[in-house]
Parts: sequence; structure tokens; C-alpha cells
Amino acid sequence: MLARGWLASSLHSGARRSVRHNSSYPLDRFAELARRPSSQHQIYQSLSTDPYVNLSIEHFLLENAPADSSILFLYINRPCVVIGRNQNPWLETDLRALYNDRRPGAGKDDAAVYVRRRSGGGAVFHDEGNLNYSVISPRTSFTRNKHAEMVVRALHCVGAVNTSVNDRHDIVMTPPETHNGRNEPPFRKVSGSAFKLTRHRALHHGTCLLDSPNIHDLGRFLRSPARGHILAKGVESVRSPVGNVSSALADSFFSMQAVMDNVVEEFARLYGVHADVVRRARRAHAVEPEIFAGDSWVMGTVGEVQGDQDPEIGKGIAELRSLEWKYTQTPQFTFSTYPTEDDPRERAPLPASLPPSTRVFLRLKHGAIIESNISVSPDVSVASDQASRVNEVLNGQKLHEITVERWTEMLRQGLAGSNGVDDALVQELADYLGDLLGGN
Amino acid sequence: MAAVARSIRPSAFRALAQRPLAPSLGAAPAFRFPRGTRSFSQSPLAQVKKYTESHEWIELADGSNIAKIGITKYAANSLGDVVFVELPEADLEVGAGEPVGAVESVKSASDVLSPVAGKVIRGNAVLEDDAKTINASAEGDGWIAEIEVADVAELDALLDEAAYNETLDH
Repeated sequence: MLARGWLASSLHSGARRSVRHNSSYPLDRFAELARRPSSQHQIYQSLSTDPYVNLSIEHFLLENAPADSSILFLYINRPCVVIGRNQNPWLETDLRALYNDRRPGAGKDDAAVYVRRRSGGGAVFHDEGNLNYSVISPRTSFTRNKHAEMVVRALHCVGAVNTSVNDRHDIVMTPPETHNGRNEPPFRKVSGSAFKLTRHRALHHGTCLLDSPNIHDLGRFLRSPARGHILAKGVESVRSPVGNVSSALADSFFSMQAVMDNVVEEFARLYGVHADVVRRARRAHAVEPEIFAGDSWVMGTVGEVQGDQDPEIGKGIAELRSLEWKYTQTPQFTFSTYPTEDDPRERAPLPASLPPSTRVFLRLKHGAIIESNISVSPDVSVASDQASRVNEVLNGQKLHEITVERWTEMLRQGLAGSNGVDDALVQELADYLGDLLGGN
Repeated sequence: MAAVARSIRPSAFRALAQRPLAPSLGAAPAFRFPRGTRSFSQSPLAQVKKYTESHEWIELADGSNIAKIGITKYAANSLGDVVFVELPEADLEVGAGEPVGAVESVKSASDVLSPVAGKVIRGNAVLEDDAKTINASAEGDGWIAEIEVADVAELDALLDEAAYNETLDH
């Protein structure tokens, strides 16, 4: 591959010479160098695969780097589902397939984690075959396509010439002709974008599916079992068929590193970055932490150490990991097992183990139940009595804190003594709701 | 009215009145403000509307210290279709430049910064059901928060309409 050869030769030529032009700094100078008013161009790559760490370093750079600086940050996360700031995890993910942060130790410790980011947009899946690029730049010169186009140029350089930016600011790929079977969609999305705007700054971060081993079944993380029951305010994801950039390249030389080198190169071209930085970036292969800086630039590798050293980054990590941010930031929504005026969709049938007269309606605000209507009796007045007693127990409960055991307990409390309600029925209903609403 | 009047510090009120009104009026009460003063909105009463460089507006109601905050028409246009507005809870204390809400449009989350310090009275419930009201009426029905301003003199430091419009030309 052309890019590969170019990269290899650069390893020999520019390397030793460039040492004279820039100097190495201890890692604990990162925050200071990132904030330094003269640090106009900054390029970082993360050694961490922790999405909370990477998003928090990124947020730190958004908040703290000089207002007129331009920053490129590249990172790769371990498997995770990342939803937009104003989305609903019960609607956008299958919590059963993810690491259970509501009950640590409940198993699946190595499963994909659930993350809510600070930027807008929809839900995406990340893994080790997905490159995240992030560009932070002055808001005045920002456009939503600018950096997606930058990445497309980089992809073209590695040979993925069938990639382009679409009207949703995503990068899509037309499948190679040999694959163009009858069932092949005309475009496959390889990269999704999201933005965060502050007073002076614009952050654009995007995913880029280069070579995801999960490409054929990543949809299962993004398919909620409660989809047909939930009506949510906030932002709903737009589903797209996805593909790997690598699938378009016959060439076995494809490497994540080659794409990263080209993204750095295109970023440098776009923002007129000093040649020393590009030289230095080509050399760095992100194996150990290192920070270099010249008069007007900083570059290096970052990671967990920044979270430990900088209180602001540490605080950002704690916030993103908190269950409050992940769950109670959710915009208002309703869950209903029967059609309602607001959500008249036909519902999937109840499990056969539940009486057909079973009705469950929940209204939630900030992730807490503010209204409910749960009953099992076919008799209207009994049902109404059941509903009001269950509502007393449920009102104010935070949904992410309700495990199957908690559902059982609360439903028993509310339905106890009602005609025809026994423990087995309470258990069935608790299992049903727990399964749909992350009570696992 | 008594409660409102008490909460206005005399010095702040004077400071507020001075700038747009020229020397003749001094510390005149609100209802004596002349009509047609350029930097005021169309209301004959003393409504003071100011702007920030980050495209928020704040408008004081009738010589009180109660103000509405929103994003400007320019901001709404440049953000595109607003799909969700995060509203502040009542009683939230905000400092000048701190978020008093957030707006999401076309995958972009933008904080709405309070132009001055104060305490939130309420968020605009209309936006809960219809976020696009911001696009239709950014500086009217699409207001985001109503706050009790801690010190109305703080508005002095903000941009008036002409100065704000000038920032848009660059």
C-alpha cells in the first residue's frame, strides 16, 4: 500500500533530525501545556481504551485549551455503547447485553459498557476496530462537515476511495461492485458524527468503523426489548446499515495505524500545523506515554494517568461513570403495554403466563416514576384499586434502581390481598418488567 | 409589586436606567421611561433587553428583577432544527456564564449560558412538548428560562442590540 510505504520510509528519515526541534516533557505537564496560550496546535492519541477516560480528556481539552487553538485527539475504546446526551438507555440499548453497572458483580464483567456522552446525536457501538477522531476548533470557523471531509480525505489515502460525507454529516461507503448483490444497501455507514458547542469552541467527534470484529451483530446492543413500549422525548437514533472500511480494501496491508497517520496528516494540512509536529506524530506509535512540545504545539500520548493527575479530568470521569448521569439525565418517557392516546401503536402480546387483563403504564421524569397504572384484574373497579395501591409504592422510584427482586417486592406490596393475585403471578409480572427495563 | 420593588437595589436600578436614557431622567421610575428609545424593545414600559457574544438574550420585565433568557434568532438559525431543550429546574442558582439549559439540534449539544447571576423561577414548559418553538420564535415564545436576577446592574456589561448585531458581522 502506498501509505504504508510512505510511513515506513518516514520512520527512517525525519525521526532523528526532528529531536532537535522539539523536546520531551514529563507527563504531569500535560494539563499545563494543553492550557498554554501559545499551544495553537495539539495532537494526542490515547493509550487508554476506557471510554469514560477518553471522553473526559476530550472534554478537558474542549474546556481548557486556548480559544483559538485546533486540536486532534484519536482514541479507540473497548466495546461499549455510547448514547447521545439527550437519549434514553432503556430505548436505545439492550441493557441485558451490556455490563450491569446498576448491580456491579452481577456477572458479564467483560461485557460492553454503557456510556452517555456530553455531545448530541444518536447511539453508536464502539470496539477495538473502531477509530474515534475528535477535532476541537474555534467555533467561528467551524462547519459540521469540515472534519468528516478531513477524515474522508484520509480514508481515500489508504485506498477507501468509495467513501463520502452524506447529508447527516456521516461518512458512508458504497459497497464494492463485486458485493453489489440484490440485498446490498446502496450505502453503508462507516462513521457517525456528534458535536458539542461552547461559547468559543466547537467539538466534533466521530466514530470510524475500520475493522470491527462485531460488524455483523453490533445491532443487538442497540436494539431494546422495550422499543415497542416506550415513547420518549429527546433524541431518537436514526438506524443505518453499517460497514467496515476494511471490507472495501482487497489489500491485506490495511492497518488502523495507517489510517491514524493519514488523519494526522490531513489535520495538519487543514490547520497548517508545523512540520515538526507531523514528523513527531509519524514516529509516535502509541506504546508508551510521552508528551512533546514546541513553541506553538503539543503532541503526545495520553491516558489513565491524566485522569489520576488532573482533578478536572478525574471529576469528568466520575461524572460520566455516575448512575445519575447515565440514567437520571434521561428525558421524560412513558412505557406502556397497551395503546394509549399519546402512543397508539399496537403492542406485542403479553407473555402467556400473565392474565390478558394485565396493564402496565409508567411515566418517568429524570429516570424516576412519576405516574403509574399497573393492574392485573379484568374488573374495572378492582383494577383501579390495584393501580392506585401499586402507584403509591412506585411513585418516585428511580427505574435504574429497580431490580427484578425490587419489582417483586413492590408489586407484592401493591397487589397483596387482591383477589386472584398470588406470588406466582407477581413473580411473572416482575420478571417480565425486569427483563424489558434492565432489572437483570 | 412591593416584593419586587424591595428586591431592586437602588444603586443597581440607577445604573440600569442611566445608560440608555441619558441624563434628563435620572432615577425615574419605570413608567416614566420615554417611548421609542432605540435600544428598548417595542414595549412602552421599561423592558431592558440585552445580548451576549455567545448568542443569548435576556429581557427584564417591567422594571423588575425578573428576566427571561433565551437564545437569539441568529443562534436558532445557525443551529438548525432544535430537537430537544434541557430546561433548568426551579430554584437552580446560576452564576453569570454558567449553563441554565442546553439545546440540541442536528447532533449538536450547546449549552445555554445565563448572561447574569440569578435564581431560576421556571423553565419554559412549552419547549418540553415542542422544542421547535425555538426555531419559530427564538426571542418570543421560545424563551428558555425565567430567572430572578441577583443584581440588575450586571446587565449593564452586556451588549445592547446594536452592539450584538455588530458581533454578527464578523
